[in-house]
Formats: sequence, structure tokens, C-alpha cells
Amino acid sequence: MDKIKVGLIGLGYIGKVHLRNCLNLKSAKLVAASDTSKKALNLAKKMGVKKTYDDYQQLLNDDTIDAVIIALPTHLHACCAKEAAEAGKHIFLEKPLARNVAEGKDIISAIRRNRIKLMVGYPFRFSSCFQALKEKMESGELGEVQIVYATNIASGPFLYRAESDIPRPVPDWWFKKELTGGGALMDVGSHMINLVRWYLGEISNVKSHLGYRFNLDLEDHAICILNFQSGQIAIINVGWFSQQTEIKVELLGTVAHASATIRPPNKVKTALQLMTRRTPTFYIPYLRELSHFIQCLKQDLPPSPSAEDALKDLEAIALTYQNCQQPQYSP
Amino acid sequence: MERATRRITSNAPILNCSEGIIVSLVSFVQIETSSMKKGIENSLNLIDYRFQKSIKKVVIKPNMCYYWDYSTGQTTDPKFVATIIDILREKISPDVNISIVESDASAMKCKYSFKMLSYEEMAKHQNVMLVNLSEDKGKRAKISAGGQRFRLTIPKTIQNADLLINVPKIKYLAETKISCALKNIFGCNPYPNKFKYHQKLTEAIVALNKVMKFDLCILDGIIVSGSQPRKLCLVMASRDPVALDAAAAKLAGVNPKSVQHIMLASKEGLGNISFIPKGIDPSFFEKRYPRKGSKDKIMSCAYKILTRAGLLNAEMM
Repeated sequence: MDKIKVGLIGLGYIGKVHLRNCLNLKSAKLVAASDTSKKALNLAKKMGVKKTYDDYQQLLNDDTIDAVIIALPTHLHACCAKEAAEAGKHIFLEKPLARNVAEGKDIISAIRRNRIKLMVGYPFRFSSCFQALKEKMESGELGEVQIVYATNIASGPFLYRAESDIPRPVPDWWFKKELTGGGALMDVGSHMINLVRWYLGEISNVKSHLGYRFNLDLEDHAICILNFQSGQIAIINVGWFSQQTEIKVELLGTVAHASATIRPPNKVKTALQLMTRRTPTFYIPYLRELSHFIQCLKQDLPPSPSAEDALKDLEAIALTYQNCQQPQYSP
Repeated sequence: MERATRRITSNAPILNCSEGIIVSLVSFVQIETSSMKKGIENSLNLIDYRFQKSIKKVVIKPNMCYYWDYSTGQTTDPKFVATIIDILREKISPDVNISIVESDASAMKCKYSFKMLSYEEMAKHQNVMLVNLSEDKGKRAKISAGGQRFRLTIPKTIQNADLLINVPKIKYLAETKISCALKNIFGCNPYPNKFKYHQKLTEAIVALNKVMKFDLCILDGIIVSGSQPRKLCLVMASRDPVALDAAAAKLAGVNPKSVQHIMLASKEGLGNISFIPKGIDPSFFEKRYPRKGSKDKIMSCAYKILTRAGLLNAEMM
């Protein structure tokens, strides 16, 4: 099979990560990109993308495109994914699958009806340190893992630009719960819930505490205790409140313990890697997940994490909000 | 200017010392967080500052930086501002009209920062107004600084105030070396896309300080931002923003004469680089200030070189 022809929908922060990565893939060709921002489209052109559209519908109408990467704000996931499925495009969809379980189920119906493949972007599953933890757990060297601690504390959408100390503008949709579906739990919690489910299987019950340091109606931190059907427990600790990034998983087994940490990117190293058009170290898992998606399309294999898998994350998150032990913030 | 006629000028801001050099007073006070009021009052007493009873409208300009709260050392603590409000109500009148001002910036919107940094809650509790200067009416003014001409808008809230209080933080900033009182007034420019002024930042800072002359600076140094945040429990006060900036720069280990906007502000008559410290010896705080290490300096330098050489494509980050 020739190179998979890819269209990229959305050139925001994560869209630009996919733009760079897709251009570095040998088995795929990024042929088109769409965004409402002219500036972003000009950048894509400069990077070598031939066709650019200010309306993603035009990109979906392009018959030469086999698959799309959807990197849009969460509230647009369901609509865009369903339209892409109807257009017969395979889909790589940024996490979370959708704002809620109902939208997630709609997406799944659309992809089944149109017999297309959909993979959800959960890059931590492609991070070598977290993969090594899974191997350790499965090899038996930790004994039986009883407790997993998963931490993802960082600044969330409130980022500094990588190239300087100047903060990055935060798009308005990030501040609106009806558009995001949730705060830190939905944003970074979905990553960690997906990861611990990969380690421990299916969740049976959830308890949670949500925090509102920033006085928004979105939680900026959350602590969840997940009980698994296997009897194991995971404690998820996520937040948007810190300038320092801490992404860490600890497995506590009956014989031994193991942990893995993803280090925050070094600014100078990141800048140099970007200058030489290489994938910055921090974004290598993003490159690997995209590569996995393309290989699945080429070999006609089901990609993982699938839409069904990501729906289980949404169900766990819904349960977490429902079982929250204190009333939610009301401004 | 309309505002000049409304302003109630306070007691003399500068001293003539024995050598005939004009210098300004800058106070240095260490406070207990439990007695913030006492500390702020002490810092004002040390510079012989007295509030005029005839003042009707006060504007307070804290430093809000993005969505980072006071604990990072980058943003004025709303509790510090609340304490200033208590003092104003006590010294001027319980009915004095007080507005806290900030404006939208390239990466920050007041509607979110007021809420996230707890100013909304504080304003409600203290019964003061929060004004987004980007939504305020204003008057256009032509002004030049350092040979650069600017057309700037002076927001109505600032024009109509009888007393303007600048409540800055001390911070390192790659573009200007140091950010303090003078740079804080950059946030009074109602134009949201402030990034466009970064090409002539020195001149823009001075021009804004020329059209919006603040009467009093009270620095919130309870947590300072250096190589990392540190609780310094410091309050500094001065009528002279140039003197305060010079003192703050020295504290942070930066030679004030190497800071372009301090030098230009002094040249343009906004204040004096020379100052007389009052209160605690500044060396007490200098020793405790979390200064940048050589690694930080090398990293900043590497960035500057890459950026100036145009090797970094900002859009790709």
C-alpha cells in the first residue's frame, strides 16, 4: 500500500504537535490541513502542507484523503468525528473521546456504521517508561500489584511558550464547562485513568474529591480512588495548578515496587530539536501513537486505544463526577 | 490635562540631601503576614506619606501576571491589596471610592484573571470595583519617550482618580532584566495586544508612566519571584517609581544603571535613581533574595541569542 494520505483538522497547540510529527512519518503523507486561523494555515503551508482549508468540511470532501487527525476543542469532537466517519475517513481523535458518554456513544455508532477505524490519542501508552512498567508488572517481578499511584500535576491549559518566558493565550473554550465537559479530571485525568485501566483492567467503583483553587466552575485538581474489578486500587492525583510538571506512576506490588516519571521538557533542548525539525523528546510518544495508527491502517489491524476503550474512560469520569464527595463549585 | 487639575498632590516626594543631590525615600519593612496592616502603615510612615482627607477616588493597580496566583511571587496578593483598602478607608474616609484596575493582555483576559487570582472574591468582600481598562472609555494622547512617539489611550478611570497607587511585584524579565513599578504601569495600557509594543518596550514603559503618573508605590514583596519564589515578607514604599525600581533592582542583584527603562525614566524626569533607604537595611533582604544562578543566566542568554537570530519559530511552539 502507498503512503496513507492524512488530513489534519485543527492547528492549535496539540494540532501543531501532530503537524510536526505527521510530516516526520515515513508511511504517511500529510496532504491537507484545516483551521479557522489564517496564521495557522500559513504555518502549515510553510511546513510543506500543500492544501489548506478554513472549513474542515472541505477537507472531508477531499477524496484523496484516507484518514484524518482531529485536534479540535472537545466540544467539536463528536460532530467532526461523525462527519469524518460519514465521509469514510479513518480517524485519529485527540483525547478525550467527547464531552460525555452520550456523545462518545454517538461517535462509536457512526464509526461502526461506516466501518472505519478510530484511535484515540493517549500518548502515555506509547511512552517507553510507562510501557516498561507494564512489562514489569506482567512479568511478575513486582509480585501482585495491589496499589497504583498515578500523578499528573502541571499547568493544564495555562502554559508558557516553549521559546520564552511569555505565557501562552488560553482559548475561551477552555474556561467553559459546557464546552470541555470538565476540568483537570477530564483533561489530564482522562490520560491517567486510561493508563491505569491499561495496567489493571476495568473499574468497579470510584470515589473522588474535586478542588477549585482558581474559582472557576471547572475543577483544577482532583483526587480519585478507583476500585478495580480485580480488587486492585488506583489513586489518581491530577491538577492544573502547578508551574512544575509532574507525571508519575508508581506500582506497589507484593514483592517489589516500581515507578516511572516523565520529566518536563528542557527548554533549550526543545528549541534546538524544533530548529532542526526533530521531534522534541517530550513529544516522542505522540509520534509513536501516530505511527501506530498509520501501521494499523496499512495492515488493517484495530488501533488501540480504541473508541470503545476511551468510552470506558468517559464512563469512569462520569462516575467520578457523580460520586464526588463534596458539592461542586458554584460561583 | 484634565486629570492634572483633579489630582490632589501629596507632600514633597523628594529630598535635597546635604551634597545637593536630589534623592527619593524608599522604605524597607519586614512584616509578619498576620500583621500586614502594621507593616504597610510602617512603610508609609517611613517615607512620611500622609493620605489627604479630600481624596474621593482612588485607583489601585496591582500586578496581575497571566493566571498565576500570588503564591508564585508573580502576582500581587489580593490580601495585600485588601489591606491597603482597609488603610485607605481608615485614613481617608470609609466612603472613598476605590477601583482596582488591570487590562487585557496578549495572553491574559481580565474576566478570567480577576476570578482566578481571587480578586473578584476580594472586591466583593471589600465593596470595591474591578475595572478592566480594556473595556473602559478613554482619551487619546500623543506622547514621546526616548525619541519614540506613541499614541496611547488614557482610561477614564485613571484620568478621574485623585490618587493612583501602584502595587507592583519584583520579577526578573528576559526583555527588561527587571520588572517592578515602572513596568507594572505597562498593564494600564488598555490595548490588549501588548506584544506589539515589545519591539520598543523601554520607550513604551516610560511613555505610559509619563501619561499616567502614579502618586504612590507600595511593593508587595511578601513572596518575591526570583530564580524561584521566596517568602521575603518585604514591603517597600516610595512616591518615586524610578527610585523604587532602582532599589528593587539592587535587591535582585541587577545594576539599576543597566536597566534601560529605569535609566530612560530617570532621564525623562519621572524620578531619581538615587534613593535613601529607610527602615531595615536593604542588605538584609539582598542576602535573602533568590537571585538567578549562573545556569539560569546561561539559559536566558541562549534563548536571547536564538530568538534574536530568528532561529526560533514562535508559531511552532
